[in-house]
Amino acid sequence: MNKTPLFERHVAMGATMAEFGGWDMPLWYKTGQTAEHKATRENCGLFDICHMGEYIITGKDSFAFWQKILTNDVRAIEDGQAQYNFMLNEKGCVIDDCIVYRFNEEKWMLVVNAGTQDSDFEWLKKNALPDMKLENISAQTCKLDLQGPNAPKLIADIAGREAIEGLKFFRFVDNVDLDGIKVLLSRTGYTGEIGFEIYCDIKETVKLWDLLLARGEKYGIMPAGLGARDTLRLEAGLPLSGHEVRPDVVAAGTPWEFAISYEHDFIGKEPLMAAKGTIFAYAVTVEGKRKPGDHSKVLYKGEEIGVLTSEIMAVSLGMVPAGFIRVNKELAIDEEIELLNEKGKTFKAFVKANPLVKGTSRKKMASML
Amino acid sequence: MANYNIPSELRYSRTHEWVMDLGNKRYRLGITDFAAQHAGDITYVELPETETVIDKDGVDCTIETVKSSEDICNQITGTVTAVNDMLEDSPETVSSDCYGDGWLYEVEAENDEDFSSLMTAEEYEEFLATQED
Repeated sequence: MNKTPLFERHVAMGATMAEFGGWDMPLWYKTGQTAEHKATRENCGLFDICHMGEYIITGKDSFAFWQKILTNDVRAIEDGQAQYNFMLNEKGCVIDDCIVYRFNEEKWMLVVNAGTQDSDFEWLKKNALPDMKLENISAQTCKLDLQGPNAPKLIADIAGREAIEGLKFFRFVDNVDLDGIKVLLSRTGYTGEIGFEIYCDIKETVKLWDLLLARGEKYGIMPAGLGARDTLRLEAGLPLSGHEVRPDVVAAGTPWEFAISYEHDFIGKEPLMAAKGTIFAYAVTVEGKRKPGDHSKVLYKGEEIGVLTSEIMAVSLGMVPAGFIRVNKELAIDEEIELLNEKGKTFKAFVKANPLVKGTSRKKMASML
Repeated sequence: MANYNIPSELRYSRTHEWVMDLGNKRYRLGITDFAAQHAGDITYVELPETETVIDKDGVDCTIETVKSSEDICNQITGTVTAVNDMLEDSPETVSSDCYGDGWLYEVEAENDEDFSSLMTAEEYEEFLATQED
């Protein structure tokens, strides 16, 4: 199993470790998932995300390359801006969700999921255009996510207020100095809270981790594991690769249509358009104290219409069982459905507006400093 | 391997339940330290009702965590004689004191073999070593 440079730190902090996408990762630390979730919503959480993949793409054809393989329209972003995307196969299904970073028209970075990074890279190579260079920098790149309303204060404390005060949602700045460590600071994340995805040389990983934890103490920082990452992302209405978005499910009709622009031609566009009106996805909350179980069937007036794709206890809603469903029928907010698990037990559930929890992610940076 | 508390007087299952011999064919059941650490934050425990007749391979108790739902395998065939009502208000005790106040339910067994066929502490420790790097 792969280990990040922080493996020893996680074990020393008493983390419960588990395999994720071929990596030995912390599920939670001694404090537990609930405390880590709350710390991220109220103060800030620090996540080791070194397992994810990063590629650098350069050359004159790179712009045309993105327009071909990404669902969003990269004409919409400028230098220093990032964009959430899907990569589709020829069937319109999601190979992976990813974020593309534009340094300039001829230099870009793509960040992808851990478990899919090798197959993603093969897909990129297969579809590469003549005048472009594709470089896998995953093994040389550290990625730490600092998320939560106090994250800007902590970064301003280390790098100076001027380093980030003008940084808007989904923008990034390169070569920021964090106490001697050069980092790329991106105002993105996967928790619904304001914060940063921080990239630097893999050799600086432990130093950066220790720095943020030490300086973050007065801002209530807490290291957080993949458990909290999952409850936070689901509450924030974001899909998980392999669950909501999958290589065998067409990406049409999801609450994540913001990742798709039909103004350009891309691989998988035709089957995607053809599937419109046949696939829908919704956030749901479940009555009672029990989660039904992943892959429970979704029933509407007795008829099977889909599947439960993820489930959690929504910590920020007061431990309410919640999840995402994928169905073949359009449903209204607050509409009642039933979830039938593999043991034959049914649970009453309700369609809810996505996201379940609105965090601070889009707040004005200056107001959070 | 991480360190887990494995009291020597208890018996253990491959699905990480412990069973305590209370005498007179009565047994108490709970989850092990290993299971507790891997379960994470427990939010709710669905317990069987007393006087329910249960099968050693059956599931009549489920532990709900923030992350998942964990089925508890009965291990002992017999009749439920007591359940830990305290867990209604403090389900987290199942992990914070898994061998003590976090017990789940008690069974009057049909036989002694179900208990004696479970792993000893030593055997369970060896079993755990095969479960992790």
